[in-house]
Amino acid sequence: MLGLRVAARMASSIDQAGQRWYAHSYNHPNLYRLAATLGWVPRRLRLGLARHIGRLAPSRMPAERAAIRTAMTRFTGATGSRLDTLTVRVFTDFAMCFSDLVSTNRQIAALRSSHVGNVEGVERLASLPGGLISLTAHVGNWELAGRLLAGRSARPTHVVVAPDEAEALQRWVRRDGEGVRFVSRSRPTVSLELLAALRRGEVVGVQGDRALGTRGDVEVPFFGHPARFPLGPFRLSSAVKAPLLPAFCLLDSQYRYVVKIAEPFVAARGEEEAAARTWVAALEAIVREYPTQWFNFFDIWAPFGE
Amino acid sequence: MEIDKALEELKDIMVERLKFEPSRVPDLSLATALPKGIEGSLGLDSLDFIELSVGIEERFGFVIDEAQDLEAHFQSLGTLVEYIKSRLAGG
Repeated sequence: MLGLRVAARMASSIDQAGQRWYAHSYNHPNLYRLAATLGWVPRRLRLGLARHIGRLAPSRMPAERAAIRTAMTRFTGATGSRLDTLTVRVFTDFAMCFSDLVSTNRQIAALRSSHVGNVEGVERLASLPGGLISLTAHVGNWELAGRLLAGRSARPTHVVVAPDEAEALQRWVRRDGEGVRFVSRSRPTVSLELLAALRRGEVVGVQGDRALGTRGDVEVPFFGHPARFPLGPFRLSSAVKAPLLPAFCLLDSQYRYVVKIAEPFVAARGEEEAAARTWVAALEAIVREYPTQWFNFFDIWAPFGE
Repeated sequence: MEIDKALEELKDIMVERLKFEPSRVPDLSLATALPKGIEGSLGLDSLDFIELSVGIEERFGFVIDEAQDLEAHFQSLGTLVEYIKSRLAGG
């Protein structure tokens, strides 16, 4: 029956083949176990330990290091020793965010009061009473952002995750609770579930930075070079006229988190690609401000080795 | 609404919104499965289901309900026709 579809639509074969490009050594259950075990260590000491481990990572992960160098070059224009420093800093920043996420995931209330500073743009969240799509990226402590926003919005939040993440990592960071429910993308009908949630006035949390490798991606310039981004969030928005709310959670120089909520927008019917460009502009602004909290350890401009 | 009529309307949605090859549409039947991952299905992905649900709302003039479990209704053209009939009948 697949023959019924036009040739262009057959291009989804990458997805059907089970593309696992995002998988890297950090995304391993043993590291989550280690980070969770260290949860009892005082935070300042724990973050110092995380930075130390992070500094060791680039030499053991040459492919990821190369991808990060490319990204830092394009984000900052840095060369030479400054580029080396920024590259290592990505790994140390990631290690700290990772440590906080895993060790404090079950103490979200305490985390809010002790580790979170400003929430910029929180009034934008309050001004959106109905269903909304919280759009974030693998920047800073994105999973923490979802939990913090769920607490503030006082609405059930459905966080969309990649299927294998949901299976292997659920024990550490994918636990339902405190208004958050994780939804795996494994079933194609999951979009119906998300549409229903939006119509009930609930929140859908979704990542907008990693292409799927299917026809559901759109090419948008990212720091001046074409990159692919998923269209799904924008199709959801246009289908039910739900606003998209770009939101990020970043570690500041005092090791406190700052949450930044950008201007909401709605994807008009037929204008989903324009909405994707609006999102990418918001993402670029954040990455320009916090380049070393860009935690995509692969070539975002050629994720499938093109 | 008659089953045949609802099925024809769904076929139109498939062509207009989901870009199916019109010449192959006669092969579609009530038994045709929809989601990808099912042997012999049309291979619809999550974006297709968004398009399909919007198309159904516009074509049939009702809002798809907010029930948690719509998945069973979107398994095949047959289950979808039954769902549409039920909604149009006030169910």
